[in-house]
Order: sequence, then C-alpha cells, then structure tokens
Amino acid sequence: MPAVGLSTTFAALADPTRRAILARLAGGETSVSELAQPFSLSLPAISKHLKVLERAGLISRGREAQWRPCRLEAQPLKDAAGWIETYRRHWEQGLDRLEAYLQELQRDAPQGAGGKNRVLKKKVTRSQR
Amino acid sequence: MSESNTSDREIVITRVLKAPRELVFEAWTRPEHVAQWWGPTGFTTTTAAMEVRVGGSWRFVMHGPDGTDWPNRVDFLEVVRPERLVYDHGDGIESSPHHFRVVVTFEDAGAGRTLLTMRSVFPTREQRDFVVKEVNAIEGGQQTIGRLEVFLETFQPR
Repeated sequence: MPAVGLSTTFAALADPTRRAILARLAGGETSVSELAQPFSLSLPAISKHLKVLERAGLISRGREAQWRPCRLEAQPLKDAAGWIETYRRHWEQGLDRLEAYLQELQRDAPQGAGGKNRVLKKKVTRSQR
Repeated sequence: MSESNTSDREIVITRVLKAPRELVFEAWTRPEHVAQWWGPTGFTTTTAAMEVRVGGSWRFVMHGPDGTDWPNRVDFLEVVRPERLVYDHGDGIESSPHHFRVVVTFEDAGAGRTLLTMRSVFPTREQRDFVVKEVNAIEGGQQTIGRLEVFLETFQPR
C-alpha cells in the first residue's frame, strides 16, 4: 500500500550519512555540532541532511535557539517495517478477491463484469485516449 | 535492477487460480475488472487512466475502509500478453521515487488453471536492513518482535 509518507521515509533512508545520523540518534538526543563530529562534513552539509530527516518526520528538533537537540522519531521507521507485513497481507486478500471474481466471471456471460461497473467504465472511457 | 541479486529484499506471493491465464491476465489489465477485486478487503479502486503497454501507465485511487484515499501509479515496463507484466508501483507523486518493482507472471498450470506469481522488490537492501535494525533497537516490546519476525520471514531468500 504505497503512502506518501513512506515514499519520503524511504527517500530519506537512501543516503548512508542520514542512516548513520539516525543510528547515532538512537543513542539519545544530540546537538548538531556533536552530530557533525564523526562525519567529515561541514555544519551546513549536516544541516541539509537534518532538514531532509526532519521533513520525513524521522527526527525532531528542540526549540532552544542555541542548543537545538535532534531526537529520533521512531514512528516512520515502524510504519516502514509494518508496511512490508501489511503489503503481503493486503495482496493475499486481493488475490482472494481475484479468485472469487474469476469464478463469477466464468459463471456469467463472457462479457464478464456486467452492469455494476457502468459508472466506472464511463469514467475510464472518458479519460482514455 | 537486476533480478539475480534481489532475493534478499523481495516479497514473493504465489497463487493457483481456477481460470485460464488469458482470463486472469485480462482481469489484471482492464479497469472494469480490477475495480472488482484490486486491493485488500474493504477497499475500492477508482481508475483515472489505464494504458497497458510498454511505457503506458495506470493511475488509480484506492479508497480505504476508513475513508482514506491512496493515490497510486503503475508504470508498465514489460507487457507480454498473457504471460508477464513488469511495472514500477508508486504513489503517483511526480517527484517521489518508485517504491518497488513488481514482476507478475501468469503460467498455465493445466486443467484450465493459472499459476500466478507476484515478485515485488523492495528498493534497497540497506533500507531494509536499516529499518529492521532500528525498529529492533527502539522497540523491545513483544508486539514489535512478533512483527519483526514476520518482516524478516518475508525476506528469506527463495
């Protein structure tokens, strides 16, 4: 089940530096300068990564002007892991429905789906070339 | 994305269906048919456009039982009627990367039956590993462990 949020999570996780930052934050709240230390990156470069992570909801930043600690937010990661499981279960259900529908099609006239799709068919016809 | 090195991050689902593969393929590739079965229990699907050909796409919205709408976009990379479909499946947002590539094969299983195999490939191994590791580190609870087991099982090489 693709969700907008998951797309952002996966895009944010695609970068090794960002994954390393998150792994570091798993140990607790950390300031930006502390975060920058182990990486041979400038503060602006680190800030850029942090912005991506923040937009993806993977971290949050403290409000204090001088010391804005970064904190790991677990929910998007949990959603990503849960999504895999959900994906499989959803497809199993979809295939159950396909199985039932194929039986229905073979019982009915060869034209198949019949009148109940009139509205959808109209929509589709209009938007197809 | 080569198929040989993706076994550690793919989800494979198979099903034997009691219908000839021409019909199964059609049920998969026509909007009036997919409206009847696509998606999990309780979901409905509205197709905006469906063009099943190489380079064509299928844009649709899945309506969840709780009223949530999920925009979807499928871009077809291979279409071999009635044997095989390869597509990228994403959320229809232009700037977002595709979530996964799906290969669907329709094999004649004899006696008017079809063996359907769906192979969905998760973006990268690093992303998968990271998700597993961090979820494990953050949540020690029984529920999460149960979920992780399912998650890991999903990625057993086949």
